Amino acid sequence: MHKGAIDIPWLYLVSGYLLMIIPLAIFRAYKTGLEKSTLWALARMTVQLLLVGLYLEYIFKWDNKWINLLWVAVMTVVASYTVIKRTGLRLKLFFFPVFTATVLSIVLIDYYFLGIVIGLKNIFTARYFIPITGMLLGNSLKNVIIALDAYYTRLDEEETSYRWQLANGATRSEARLPFIRYALQRAFNPLIATTAIMGLISLPGMMTGQILGGSDPMVAVKYQIMILVVIFASTSLNVWLTLQFSNRIAFDAFGNLRKEIFARPPGRKLKRGPKGRPR
Amino acid sequence: MNGRPVIEVRDLRVHYEGLTLFGGLSFQIRKGEKVAVAGESGSGKSTLIHTLLGFVPSFEGQVRIWDMPLDALHIDRIRKLTTWTPQDLGFTVFPSVRELFFTPFRFKANRKLMPSPQQIREIFDLFELPPDILDRPVKEISGGQKQRLVLAISVLLQKPLMFLDEPTSALNTEIKQKITDFLLKSPEVTLLAATHDEYFLSRVSKVIRLANLSDYA
Repeated sequence: MHKGAIDIPWLYLVSGYLLMIIPLAIFRAYKTGLEKSTLWALARMTVQLLLVGLYLEYIFKWDNKWINLLWVAVMTVVASYTVIKRTGLRLKLFFFPVFTATVLSIVLIDYYFLGIVIGLKNIFTARYFIPITGMLLGNSLKNVIIALDAYYTRLDEEETSYRWQLANGATRSEARLPFIRYALQRAFNPLIATTAIMGLISLPGMMTGQILGGSDPMVAVKYQIMILVVIFASTSLNVWLTLQFSNRIAFDAFGNLRKEIFARPPGRKLKRGPKGRPR
Repeated sequence: MNGRPVIEVRDLRVHYEGLTLFGGLSFQIRKGEKVAVAGESGSGKSTLIHTLLGFVPSFEGQVRIWDMPLDALHIDRIRKLTTWTPQDLGFTVFPSVRELFFTPFRFKANRKLMPSPQQIREIFDLFELPPDILDRPVKEISGGQKQRLVLAISVLLQKPLMFLDEPTSALNTEIKQKITDFLLKSPEVTLLAATHDEYFLSRVSKVIRLANLSDYA
């Protein structure tokens, strides 16, 4: 049924890398100092993807529900860790809220999409479960980072506004509302913009892959549409749950923002470090 | 409840950013009293107000407000009876002046207090705020306008206990006196204001003078 794409022989793959001479030459001509980091990024990308290819081969061969679940669990742990590390919030405090929100949003959306929309009898089938879950995780990551960072940085910077609301009769969730609104706007404006121009200036990666893999373009488009909807839904659920769960640990009994949630002094994170260099 | 003081502070010490403030401060404020907190900058005027509102939980001593101890159990009930105009006004989390102005009146506890257009016009007139100020972004109004706007909100909320932090610092002389007189007028409201304004100090019924930091050493 599936013709599949033409395999690229290893030697030809190496010849493909020759294209990287173009950026490297440009970087070098202008003394940008980017050559080393480009080569390092290229090497990392290659090793990481080859490893993924290797273990996906086995995961697909075994196609065992428990191994698939274990793989997703490991991915979720890594994703939660990455999210928190990039926000400047304290890992120890935020791991549980972020992890729980991610697991919940993925379980719910996977179940609905794979079980009901696609109609799989076994939603843990590796061929669907693994790539869809990976896609959801990877795509919500960025938005959760932006939302968490925007929310707590803003709460800290505008602590007076938060307290002013409390001192004038707001419940805690009422006083947090403008900050949640701000975090949602920051996290979702880019996603809304990319969704709106989808297909106009580029073909999305998943669709391209499916077409190369021999799928009918219309089938590929349907999957692409669904994937965007599913990403939007799971990302918003994930962001919202993360903020809600983290609220439980980020405030003291008087409703004050706990300063110890920040792993480093807030507000100074992406600004200049010593010698004017970004951190 | 009537005979008891609205605010009762006994032997208060606050540990704040490595310093110990107030060195055992005690005072009482009765219903309807207008009290000023005076002292040099850095003496802890703002910190005293923050403490009474539950924003500095690490204090020593006894604080009771309406006979409720200032603790995690009672703080939400206390804050429903207070209004506060802070000194440092950012408020940029609110997209527009309109949003800033109406936010407190949308809280469940304040819903019955939503002012009528008539009331808004009157208070804006008194505080010399232009009527179109509601349609501007918060970033575009001046510090003095922001202060008068937030004071106007505090007045319209009609809370029995009013905390003001340097309420007249960004106002010019003529309007300063008018607004001070207006704020101190209502016999029902208990008021505690941090200020070093001479006129304000001359009009209150009691002044709490905070010692300089060096005096605690």
